[in-house]
Amino acid sequence: MTSPLIAPDPTRPASTAAPVTVRVAGWSLHLPEADGLAADLAAWSGTSASRLSATLADAVPADRAHQVLGRKGLLFKEPATRLALCAVHRALGLPPGRHPPDGVDPRSAVVVAGNLGNVATVADLARTVHAEGGRAVSPLAAPNASSNVVASTVALWFGLGAANLMVCSGATAGLDAVRAAMLLLRAGRADRVLVVGTEPADEVATELHQAGRPAFPLRAGAACLVLTTTARSDTGPVLGPSGGRSAYRRIGPGGFDPAAHWGDCYGAAGVVNLALAATLLDAGAPGPVAVACGDDTDGVRELLLDATPGAGR
Amino acid sequence: MPARLTASELRTCLGDGDRTFAGLLAGTSGIGPLRHGVPAALNVAHGYHVDDGADRAFAASRWVAECAARAVAAGALDPRRRRVVALVGTGLRELAAVEAYATGGDAFGAHRLHFGDAVHTAVPGLREVVTVSNACSAGGHVLALAEDLLMLGDADAVLVCGVDATTESMLAMIGRVVDRPTETVRPFDADRQGVLLGDGAAALVLVPDDDDTRPALARIVATGLSCDAHHETAPSVAGITRAMRDALARAGREPAEVDLVVAHGTGTALNDPAECEALRQVLVSGGADPLVTAVKGATGHTSGAAALVNLDVARRCLAEGRVPPVVGLRRPLPEGTGLRFPTEATAHPARLVQSDAFGFGGVNAVTLVEAP
Repeated sequence: MTSPLIAPDPTRPASTAAPVTVRVAGWSLHLPEADGLAADLAAWSGTSASRLSATLADAVPADRAHQVLGRKGLLFKEPATRLALCAVHRALGLPPGRHPPDGVDPRSAVVVAGNLGNVATVADLARTVHAEGGRAVSPLAAPNASSNVVASTVALWFGLGAANLMVCSGATAGLDAVRAAMLLLRAGRADRVLVVGTEPADEVATELHQAGRPAFPLRAGAACLVLTTTARSDTGPVLGPSGGRSAYRRIGPGGFDPAAHWGDCYGAAGVVNLALAATLLDAGAPGPVAVACGDDTDGVRELLLDATPGAGR
Repeated sequence: MPARLTASELRTCLGDGDRTFAGLLAGTSGIGPLRHGVPAALNVAHGYHVDDGADRAFAASRWVAECAARAVAAGALDPRRRRVVALVGTGLRELAAVEAYATGGDAFGAHRLHFGDAVHTAVPGLREVVTVSNACSAGGHVLALAEDLLMLGDADAVLVCGVDATTESMLAMIGRVVDRPTETVRPFDADRQGVLLGDGAAALVLVPDDDDTRPALARIVATGLSCDAHHETAPSVAGITRAMRDALARAGREPAEVDLVVAHGTGTALNDPAECEALRQVLVSGGADPLVTAVKGATGHTSGAAALVNLDVARRCLAEGRVPPVVGLRRPLPEGTGLRFPTEATAHPARLVQSDAFGFGGVNAVTLVEAP
């Protein structure tokens, strides 16, 4: 079976396009101060704490992103963008420091999930205009006034020239982004898609998040998934729709919810939860794992992740 | 794989889709005094505003919801009986509300930054509403995703929306990069001064090409996507040409078949020469001699809605056999040599129309559309 955005309709003929199965060929978690999350997840899953701790270790906060990315190019980059770049850097397995791309890869796409990345900048720009006028605003802040700045910065930093999407659909954004990435692969728009979830936790972001009355406080963090098709990679767990198969475990609302144990990564949560599920499977936990994100306001999305070759077909 | 356009509804400074196209044909501009922010502080004196008589708070949500409801009614679509997903493209979301909050207004729930609530309420029965924030080509990007959803059988119909309401932070950026306030948008003019924002919303209904149960307004042949990965704000000819070629390749069409372009045409020093060069490299070099029109001199830059505004104009050009002039264009820029820009309403029986949309961060979407 392919991996539809929503459940297939049995009354409608199946697509004539060749089925494409999507694999998570690489991933990273970049969650500053999440050591306790590794211990909780290990206890819940019965999986090696050391494996989980190793994956969750070394996540520097946004103001120390230069330790991962090098100093050059980070001026005027917002915390959400810095965390996203760190997550991608780690998912690609790059050594510390900036690694400018040789050129633009027209077959690699980027899909980023996040809602609050530029709200502090926009608030700051508005306050500056009101207090001092528009001349006091720096043109270098211009890219940050547009909400897609994270996705385009990731593309620019790593030379990724296929489709570029910024998904801002609230609590469901993480898995909305994953499903959009699966769509790009299935439609032949890319051979590889980097999916990034990222949120900041500055004062403006936190106040807007709180005003939505969430169950858990906002946390800054990012995660990255490298998605490709099973035709192009033979390692990594396989992603599929959640309908019709029972999961061994569930990560997200209704299961082990990182938001309750560590904090709410809001628009990034779906990507974070999926990267945690991949880590669990990699550490030997049985699959499939159901991965969910969402809330009462925005709804819930769910996908299945399975280490078994051929799962999801 | 193509899809069929069964409804297309607009809200621009000129009015709904009928009024917008009539205004364009007549060479009318919807420009007026800036109504959002303080002109002297922003160095921006004009805008292309939607005035619906209501408060500006959460105006984008209101406009997109209104267009979505009209499109679903016009397309005779019942989301409770078919699998319908809504995709909303936007550049600025409800960031105007963040600005209001930051300068003394009330905090609001983060879920009101996107358009799930507004569109779900306007169109009961939708399976999902997903907001994609892709700058000034957001409408083209959600259109591409909609085509893919239909091609792969993941939805029976897609409600494709685009919307933006002016924000002060973006106005400040526009005012910051010009010496004097821009008087009007003049796409592809040698004496262009820069861009101005337009409020706008659009919603259209897309169904699979094999769905022959309802009349169609146009056939969406294909949408090509690319990202420049070149510069944060400056466009790249290489990136733009990749999106144009991607659209042609996905459509299985030749450049010479394109006989009309509804260009992005922002009237800026960065966009217009790059777009002209890309049109020459892909279309003219491929044997095409298209008319090239653009709407932003009349509607302003409607950002997240811009691609869908262009598409609505494209389908009306196909249906009526007439192409509106580039409002604001008096003397074409040197880089436009070899391209034909109409300066008055022109009879032109177009067959294959290319509709362009490019955004900050080098996000490019190019759509090919033909008569049903």
